[in-house]
Amino acid sequence: MTPTETFRHELPAPLALRPLSIPRPFTTKLANGLQVVTVEDKHLPLVSFRLAFRSGDANDPADVPGLSDMMTHLMNEGTETRTSKQIAEEVERIGATLMAGSGSDFTTVAASALSIYTNEILELMADITLRPLFPQNEIDLARENTKQLLIQQRAQPTFLASERVAKVIFGDHPYSRVSATPESLDAMTHEGLKSFHDSTMIPNNAVMIAVGDIETAKLLDQLNELFGKWQAGGAPTINFPEIPMHAARAAYLVDRPGSEQSNIVVANPAIARTSPDYFPMLLMHTILGANASSRLFMNLREEKGYTYGAYSSLDARRVSGSFRVTAEVRTPVTGASLKEFFFELDRIRNEAVSEKELADAKSYLTGVFPIRIETQEGLIEQIVSIRMFDLSDDYLHTYRDHVNAVTADDIQRVARLYVTPDKAAIVIVGDARTITEQVKPYSNSIEFYDTEGRRKAVGE
Amino acid sequence: MQKPFQLPETSIQQFTLNNGLRVILNEDHSVPVVSVAVYYDVGSRNERQGRTGFAHLFEHMMFQGSENVPKAAHFQYISNAGGTMNGTTSSERTNYFETLPANQLPLALWLESDRMRSLKVTQENLDNQREAVKEEKRLRYDNQPYVNGFLRLFEMCFQNPANAHSTIGSMEDLDAATVEDIREFFRIYYAPNNAVISVAGDLDPAEARTLIEKYFNTIPRQPEPPPVDVGEPKEVAQRQDVFRDKLAPVPAFALGWKIPARRTPDYCALALASHLLFEGESARLYQKLVKGEESVVQIQGGIDERRGPSGLLIVVIPKPDRDGAQIRDTIIDEVTLLATIGPTEEEMEKLRNNLCNEAVRGRQSSLFRAQGLAEFALYDGNPELFNTDLLNYLKITATEIRDAVARYLVTDNRVFLDIVPAPEEMKGVPAAPLPPGEPSKPAAPPAQVPPPPTDPVPVEPIVELAQES
Repeated sequence: MTPTETFRHELPAPLALRPLSIPRPFTTKLANGLQVVTVEDKHLPLVSFRLAFRSGDANDPADVPGLSDMMTHLMNEGTETRTSKQIAEEVERIGATLMAGSGSDFTTVAASALSIYTNEILELMADITLRPLFPQNEIDLARENTKQLLIQQRAQPTFLASERVAKVIFGDHPYSRVSATPESLDAMTHEGLKSFHDSTMIPNNAVMIAVGDIETAKLLDQLNELFGKWQAGGAPTINFPEIPMHAARAAYLVDRPGSEQSNIVVANPAIARTSPDYFPMLLMHTILGANASSRLFMNLREEKGYTYGAYSSLDARRVSGSFRVTAEVRTPVTGASLKEFFFELDRIRNEAVSEKELADAKSYLTGVFPIRIETQEGLIEQIVSIRMFDLSDDYLHTYRDHVNAVTADDIQRVARLYVTPDKAAIVIVGDARTITEQVKPYSNSIEFYDTEGRRKAVGE
Repeated sequence: MQKPFQLPETSIQQFTLNNGLRVILNEDHSVPVVSVAVYYDVGSRNERQGRTGFAHLFEHMMFQGSENVPKAAHFQYISNAGGTMNGTTSSERTNYFETLPANQLPLALWLESDRMRSLKVTQENLDNQREAVKEEKRLRYDNQPYVNGFLRLFEMCFQNPANAHSTIGSMEDLDAATVEDIREFFRIYYAPNNAVISVAGDLDPAEARTLIEKYFNTIPRQPEPPPVDVGEPKEVAQRQDVFRDKLAPVPAFALGWKIPARRTPDYCALALASHLLFEGESARLYQKLVKGEESVVQIQGGIDERRGPSGLLIVVIPKPDRDGAQIRDTIIDEVTLLATIGPTEEEMEKLRNNLCNEAVRGRQSSLFRAQGLAEFALYDGNPELFNTDLLNYLKITATEIRDAVARYLVTDNRVFLDIVPAPEEMKGVPAAPLPPGEPSKPAAPPAQVPPPPTDPVPVEPIVELAQES
């Protein structure tokens, strides 16, 4: 070993702070209600566009889960003037990307290109958004391929775990549905897709976000030309059922015989994205399990070696959400891992976090913030969240203040409200024959399911 | 429709310390963020039989503390300073990287230099990280459909064990690793003269240089590591095989070819050919099989980029009741067509625009720049290639692509692997131990830390295929 050098004993002091200039987006609205947000940034010859609609998978009809997903998939598969192949060729020929996709609460059409191809990509984006044809042959093909993908999903433990957690936590709420089903795929028709598109993809339900090497004035002219004649409509509304109350802790084992690992999730219902408790929850999540320096990782991986990674996840959506802790562990330590999870959940409820942990978590969140807006894609994601969840216009500018305002008392208060181990759902995907006895000490009730999602009597 | 395009130049400074550490700086004040990447010239290509998985296991040990940094404190220091970090291992190299607020550059240099000069290796830490790596292997390989099948493909392509074995290694070899092995590995490979450090972002080059000299200058040079032999005969190791996959829900098959080393003219032409064959929805094979014939649910391909003989791979999930052999013949026909007529002018335009878009889009990220610069410095001794390599690709002609496909892909010297579901093997708990010298090559380089879950709703289970990192 090399000789001791005293200057290495101390953590080095940081250099002078370098200023972060957070962009101030320009916002306006077209006559038909389409909101427009632009951020000019000319340091690279690139543009990124995102058209975001305030309706998503949660707006799927209850008996047709996956409809939004199928609609967005098919937008690239033919318009009034272009075939599926022509769309793919025209987009890729200019080196651009163009894709539509749906999440729980909103739907997006995303496009990016070198700025020399701004006109071309905007025209393509408008075409697939406004004039998709939903051709029958493409519907049939997508239906068959999606059915095959559903079979693939059921081979994935993470899918099986998410599916069961969603059902347990969200009950009859649309957030309980995580994918299409063979039956819902059969129920999707050309007429159904077209009318769903026409009623949800309307300008007064949408925001167009443009970032990069653009001239705002010129862009507005282009948007008026491409999107100006788009007819406004009645914004879709939906009455969401309440999410169920859980009176006691219960376990749900998805039996995957021979599984090499147990995929464990412990979950409680938690907050909506707009909850005033969001920032205290974010700090609590950071300290408990957001990254490799959080308590769960340090305990279950670094100290115990049970897993490759243990984390928490703060799932805060428009009207509701959940808080989850999760790890994939080797089968023989399934019970031992539950012990550590509940130890950590009890600890975050029962003891105030230390001043150092709180300061470290604030430093982490405020420090990674500029990394998150380093790229056009990163900045657009932030603006999409702001607009889709109705966060404040100055959210980017006040984010760090909100983080810094949270106290240890706030964290303990929200932990006691939303982290409730005695009412938690324990979902485990694993080999029931091997793990059932290990789970029994942690739950009086155990329900068993097969990998098709069907309830069954016991393991085996 | 091809429009003139000029790639914005990335500023590059380079110098070498007296101990042989190569340093690259990129000054870019767009965002007050800095990324540091340290690349060591060691990967699974340096491992010998019976010692597979060592480079990657060692990567885990690099986070277990050094003279002035306690065990696992690396994670803490970086997070608490508002940064992100990771490490990954491939066949070619082991890399460590962090992205931080720009004023935290000294912290990253302090951490990287302390473990380069004084890593602590203890039995307890080795035992603990061996378990973490085994869980990584279970999570990403043994508990996933298809993945171990793809690793088999590399064994069939490559004859030289240095190329054929996996980066994750075998459970048996991981069990056999001793503290002495790990210390010896550190002494041989983790020397400043076997490494590159690059720093990209909002920095003052003079200040960065002074700091790098302060932290790294006194780390002693070591004898050069033993040379690596990644030489391969032209022939693949085995042309045809069947892999019984206890987790696969439906059959799949894969094809593989052995192709020349990265940055050779034929390699570059084949990289472009592979784009035309299977990247994006306008790709020839996608249009032919998923669309035209509607015979295939998914087709994915990739290139395993190496300094020695590399690989080109295609994986297909056919529709139920479709004949895999017939689909394979169609793929061969399409490859032969590309080797006969060559790309169209439209396709050449597509390639050029995609190359420009990818190059400039990546440059937004300081970490992308730091990693790209380090890679060219380590593999080619020339970080300026970060600016100029694009031009090499843009110059490639349709004829060169056609001829490279004819030379390397239209041949019987290729690999076919059928992956068949074998659910009955589920019952054999514990899972039948894999034969020694087992499957190879990770889907993505095994990493220090898995990504935390971001979205509670899973993404579609696209089959992950071995790719360069």
